Amino acid sequence: MAHTAHDNEHGAHPTEKQYWMVFVILVLFTAVEVAWSFMGFEGAVLVVPLLVMMTIKFFLVAGAFMHLYFDLKLLNGRLFTWAFAGAIVLAGAVYAAVIASFRFNI
Amino acid sequence: MTDVAIPVEHAPAEHHEAGHASSLGLSNTKLAFWLFLGSECLLFGALISTYLLSVGNFVGQVVAGNPRVVSTMPAEIMNEIAEKGTVNGFFDIPFTSASSFILLMSSLTMVLAHKAVTESNYRASKIWLSATALLGATFISGQVYEFTVFYREGLYYDGNLFGSAFYTLTGFHGAHVTIGILMLVALLIMAFKGKLQADRAETVEIIGLYWHFVDVVWVLIFTVVYLIP
Amino acid sequence: MAIIDKPLALPAGEPRRAARPLGVFTRPKEQSGISAWLTTVDHKKIGIMYGSAALFFLLIGGVAALAIRVQLATPNNTFLSGDAYNRMYTMHGTVMVFLVVMPIGAAFANFLMPLQVGARDVAFPRINAFSFWVFFFGGLMLNTSWFLGGGADGGWFNYAPNNGVAFSPSHGIDFWNAGLLIAGIGSLTGSINLITTVLNMRAPGMTLMKMPVFTWMTLVTQFLLLFAIPVITVAQLLLTFDRRFGANFFNVQQGADPLLWQHLFWVFGHPEVYLMILPAFGIVSEIIPTFARKPIFGYPFMVFSGIAIGFMGWGVWAHHMFVSGLGPLSVTAFSVATMFIAVPTGVKILNWMATLWGGKLILNTPMLFSIGLITQFTVGGLSGVSHAIAPSDTQQTDTYYIVAHFHYVLFGGAFFGFVGGVYHWFPKAFGYKLNDTFGKVQFWMMVVGFNLTFGPMHILGLQGMPRRMQTYDDAMGFNFWNLVATIGAFILGVGVMLLLANVAYSYSKWKSAGRPNPGPDPWDARTIEWSIPSPAPSHNFDTDPVVTSLDDFWHRKYQEDENGVVRRVHTGEEIAQPGNGEGVHLPAPSYWPIVLAFGIPIIGYGIIFNLWLCIPGALVVIGALFGWALEPADDLDAPGHDHGHDGPGHDGSGDHAEPELETV
Repeated sequence: MAHTAHDNEHGAHPTEKQYWMVFVILVLFTAVEVAWSFMGFEGAVLVVPLLVMMTIKFFLVAGAFMHLYFDLKLLNGRLFTWAFAGAIVLAGAVYAAVIASFRFNI
Repeated sequence: MTDVAIPVEHAPAEHHEAGHASSLGLSNTKLAFWLFLGSECLLFGALISTYLLSVGNFVGQVVAGNPRVVSTMPAEIMNEIAEKGTVNGFFDIPFTSASSFILLMSSLTMVLAHKAVTESNYRASKIWLSATALLGATFISGQVYEFTVFYREGLYYDGNLFGSAFYTLTGFHGAHVTIGILMLVALLIMAFKGKLQADRAETVEIIGLYWHFVDVVWVLIFTVVYLIP
Repeated sequence: MAIIDKPLALPAGEPRRAARPLGVFTRPKEQSGISAWLTTVDHKKIGIMYGSAALFFLLIGGVAALAIRVQLATPNNTFLSGDAYNRMYTMHGTVMVFLVVMPIGAAFANFLMPLQVGARDVAFPRINAFSFWVFFFGGLMLNTSWFLGGGADGGWFNYAPNNGVAFSPSHGIDFWNAGLLIAGIGSLTGSINLITTVLNMRAPGMTLMKMPVFTWMTLVTQFLLLFAIPVITVAQLLLTFDRRFGANFFNVQQGADPLLWQHLFWVFGHPEVYLMILPAFGIVSEIIPTFARKPIFGYPFMVFSGIAIGFMGWGVWAHHMFVSGLGPLSVTAFSVATMFIAVPTGVKILNWMATLWGGKLILNTPMLFSIGLITQFTVGGLSGVSHAIAPSDTQQTDTYYIVAHFHYVLFGGAFFGFVGGVYHWFPKAFGYKLNDTFGKVQFWMMVVGFNLTFGPMHILGLQGMPRRMQTYDDAMGFNFWNLVATIGAFILGVGVMLLLANVAYSYSKWKSAGRPNPGPDPWDARTIEWSIPSPAPSHNFDTDPVVTSLDDFWHRKYQEDENGVVRRVHTGEEIAQPGNGEGVHLPAPSYWPIVLAFGIPIIGYGIIFNLWLCIPGALVVIGALFGWALEPADDLDAPGHDHGHDGPGHDGSGDHAEPELETV
């Protein structure tokens, strides 16, 4: 059973063309990021789009290049997908809380 | 130091878990490597948080004019930091953008190398692996250059909080890239000896995982450290 | 999921890749004696070594504890100087947490978990050996500080800026950093290994919800370790850079905020306390059903409350910092979260009691220790809830009330569970039972000693006696209870040592009785580790056990007859595997884990004393990595070697690891 899943894995991986497309998107996002940082915006207008683009890039690399999107499907059941998502949220939240407690003294 | 123990067991394990109906469907090695990367996420999370807090505190002290903050950096740079309330004017964004591009490019060549190995296209796999290692080496050279420039401008590791935080975070990342390059070189040696056949695709994939992870960390660092004030 | 999948065996006669032993790079062959232990990759031996190492460190930590109690027995005592007292309590806490309780948890996880999931060994046997040795050498290195300028003196959590060179100029804290960083490498690799084993190497049919509770708790514990260790690693690295290389992370003069240390430490530290207690929870969850003669009450609740503790353990760290000047919102949020985490813990306590309820209790030593855990942990849990209430915590912070609280959960809870576990699984590990009467004496002595020691600390704390004070004045009113605590501590010390005495006593009894075998199933137990001979043979299971239900072994022994009455249809001896290892292939032992682990502390000493020392250390590490990589994958001459084997147990260092492969 696990064996067949493993055999399927490589068939499900992206094609070369898709890899190139992901790469082009990543480069475009990086270019927009840099350009945005030079536009002279301040505060949330500057920061929020940058963070959004960073997050998109993060998940593009993890999902496509690291095959996360494909490997998670291999795991038995959705439990692990949720556990994985939970772990990412948890880690992010922990550090966000640490930073928040300093910056805003809440 | 924590890295060394993990990547040494690359046994392709398709045969093993097949006998065990209760396994997850990922090989042991790959699962273990993902776990390791999960651990690394927390490591870099802590380092990035430390950087943000430390630099925030540093800028706060400079803006407040605390005379005890060591200023080994020239007065005009310190004045600029005090004026703008950010250290980002210190960075050379176009240069770092080029570095980022190079590292993203190396991620692409890495997946292409993996694809070539799975398809038994050994000539292509050697080319892409070499390209990945070279791009990684270029990135590291860029970092060494950047550190040298910063050092000349007076940003010392033991000088002030900004120096400590900046060199620690980017240095940790650089060390990870260097270890990645060493692993790629090992793969290349195998490839040129003809040992890197399709049945070793998972080894390439796992080293690729590490490489992309390092890339992803740079995606975070580039935005959070260099672009966002 | 298919329950019976034919184990995939390599057909006999299939050509194997030839291993080419290169000179020194052969695998060790010793089957017994000291070198067999040094080179072993057997998870059971490694588990036993974890336990023995923890006992060794327990002696060090215990002597420190008694020294503290002697100093505090009478007012204005001068048994220890202020400086020595600082080092004593710091090293006591550090050693007990990192080198005693954590490794005992690792000992049980290593020994039991593969047996409980029906695996041949852990996923990566050589890395498992490395994990142990790097922990052991890290612990030894930490303790060499006693002779090289004195131990650390900043408390086990070493708050900044007190941990800087300005306030602690001796090398104690450097040793604390280096030793724990090194031991942390072992925890990290160990956690990866054990999680992989649980998730990927379960016996056919053992779905996640058919795993024993101990295995579940091991899984949760190792996940906590996996994510907590890097946080403390960063904190300790930053501190090392500060102390050794002049960085400024905790340098207040340069505008650093020392609270960063507290956050990093407790983001690690709170998951840490759960990963110390959860293995003990798992142990009693195995013992209680066995001796109450009932299945565990609410198995899914036991599992999910463990998972819930694992998740919520990450959201409560700031309750250690209520007096550090956090804002009101943080205090409220963490206060509420801390009260919430008492819920899954309470679920567990309720379930144990419901398991006991109506059971045919067999009150032998493991059972007594389990009940001791439930009772005393509940006391500690209740005082913990009183810390969750921020105003009350403000009163209690840094008093002996806190000391009482965490000793009730860690000693009265975790350690009692561990001792019960030792009594329970001792025959599986060593082939003879520990004397039960002796055990009961030990139990009652420990209960009396423990409560005499730490019970009065509640009173002392509420009276206002601060922690970490070297002495107190006659007129403060602390005299009586301190003396009681000291007397209790010595009773407790004797009680703990009775474990060793019992081992020696039971061994000599067993030897003079002609070494009778306790049989595979001396307790009429429930899980599959009791279906193999005692002591467990090196290959664990003759064939992969096929699991059809929770408590599978029990259900093979007991079945309902036509009237719906549960009857024993087999004895454990009848259906146990005979322990015939013929045709089983085991991972060969290896020299390199211990060599690799040995090189790392040399680098640690180099960072403390002289950077040049790092070079030989690094050479040892690199050499060991090469040795590891170039080691022939398998020793074809090893006894019991056979081509027809199945998957588990020889994966990581298995026959696919070709000499040329591993260069990094």
